[in-house]
Amino acid sequence: MIERVLLLAENRYARLILIGLMVLSLQTTVFNDMRPFGVCLQVMVLLAASAGLARGSDVGAIAGFIIGLLYDLVLTTPMGLCAAVFAIVGYLAGVGQSLVYEPTWWTRMLLGSIASAIGMILLPIVSTVTGATGILNARVLFVALIVGLFNAVLSVPAERLCRWALTEPAVVR
Amino acid sequence: MADLSFTRRRAILLLSLTSVILITMDLRGSSVINFTRSAFGVVFRPIESATKVVTRPLGNAWNGMTHYNEVVEENHRLNDLVAFSEGSTISAIASVREAQELLSLNGLPTLAGIASCTAQVVGQSPSNFTQTVEINRGSECGLKVGMPVLNAAGMIGKITDVYNKRSVVMLLSDPGYSLAVKVVNIPAPTTTTTAAPGTVVGDTTTTTFTTTTTTLPRVTTTTGIPGFVPGVTIATSSTLAPLPGEVTVPVGDVGPNQPGKSTNSEITVPAGLDVPLRETGALEGRGISRTPIVRFVENQPRFGAVRIGSPIISAGGATSLAPPDIVIGSVSRIVNRTGTLGPILEVALAANLKNLNFVRILLYQPSSERVVAP
Repeated sequence: MIERVLLLAENRYARLILIGLMVLSLQTTVFNDMRPFGVCLQVMVLLAASAGLARGSDVGAIAGFIIGLLYDLVLTTPMGLCAAVFAIVGYLAGVGQSLVYEPTWWTRMLLGSIASAIGMILLPIVSTVTGATGILNARVLFVALIVGLFNAVLSVPAERLCRWALTEPAVVR
Repeated sequence: MADLSFTRRRAILLLSLTSVILITMDLRGSSVINFTRSAFGVVFRPIESATKVVTRPLGNAWNGMTHYNEVVEENHRLNDLVAFSEGSTISAIASVREAQELLSLNGLPTLAGIASCTAQVVGQSPSNFTQTVEINRGSECGLKVGMPVLNAAGMIGKITDVYNKRSVVMLLSDPGYSLAVKVVNIPAPTTTTTAAPGTVVGDTTTTTFTTTTTTLPRVTTTTGIPGFVPGVTIATSSTLAPLPGEVTVPVGDVGPNQPGKSTNSEITVPAGLDVPLRETGALEGRGISRTPIVRFVENQPRFGAVRIGSPIISAGGATSLAPPDIVIGSVSRIVNRTGTLGPILEVALAANLKNLNFVRILLYQPSSERVVAP
């Protein structure tokens, strides 16, 4: 039994789910209350972008999908919507990171910020495709700007967290 | 590694397909998705609650920094409101006292004449199926099974078990609770239209007293009724001009008749015409997650349609466990039923049953249960 638990803990996506739950609880509590300029900060999208920055586009897409799915479970939007968007965010962050020669902390901040902003723009677009109305307006850009700026601040620690969580099992052992 | 065996295209295709399937299932109202969401909620809520406790200081600090000025302004505004409310409350208390004196003078029962016992809620039922609380007063205070329990807002329940120094109170929301109640309906304001002097409407005459002046729209209408002119301004007077051969009704010289006011007119509107109409029903609890309902409200034309917000008070009576006129709540929703079945009224309770502290037990017993001294 204990060995099974240890094997599960070795799985990087299992660790990501646990971290995702922790970040989700922060998202629904403290970040739900802190609304600078009336914008609810989005750390779940930051986690998806950081996964891409930490482990590349493929792992970033899968990690983004998992994180988005967790977020979908507490939102009233259609299930799978955030999963799809966050998968794109994770993938784009990974692609962006691969294009940078000798990435530094500030390039990671910039990429995390841009990927988060793209996620905030994609989310209402995909929502509109699935039938939501009245959410695709100019405010989307403002929200993307605020979320992007805030996520830039937190992108370096988030990237380190994701790098640890998504470590290969062999390395962990 | 299994996850690395996927090619990039396969992985993206799989994720995209999964997303589309999930979105489609959810939009079609799949029960699997709903079950997954609720199951996740069961797992996630404790984590969220713990996080809320841990991060509360952070949130409070943020709110202190960003909303301080708004809170100060709101505090000033609320202080003004409190001052205003205190004035209104004093006036209301005076009115209630007058009403109680009137009731006493007429030999009618009042709440003021019923002794009471104050107690504190000390515990809540651990059961998921009963809605009860425990209070720290019992038979030593004269409590008996069935006595009504109130707090400052209104009725909260009744005593179901009495011990020496504690009692169990069944809350209004308990599915086993039932009580005779009255729904007080205030009739909708109506506009009365009367004819101008000298205007004959059809072959009959209606005598109406009103202060309302209504101007009918000027529309081109043809009519075969002799003497009737469509589109005239009407109701400029409180009486009609008498037809030849009719008895003239004297008009009061103090204006139109008012309910309860004496005029010189031979025809007076009886006092109490605008008194709110009442209808009785039975209040039933439905558990903590659902609001109580009132059944058996009759569909009487005089009573009219029940309105949302109409107050609900206890009905009293010889066999009722509660005296009349204790505030219970107001109508929050009306579920109409077909046929002669009256509507079911959902009740928004005046008392907050989730936050009970001090309560008052009326030492009231219905007349049918009182022991008559030999």
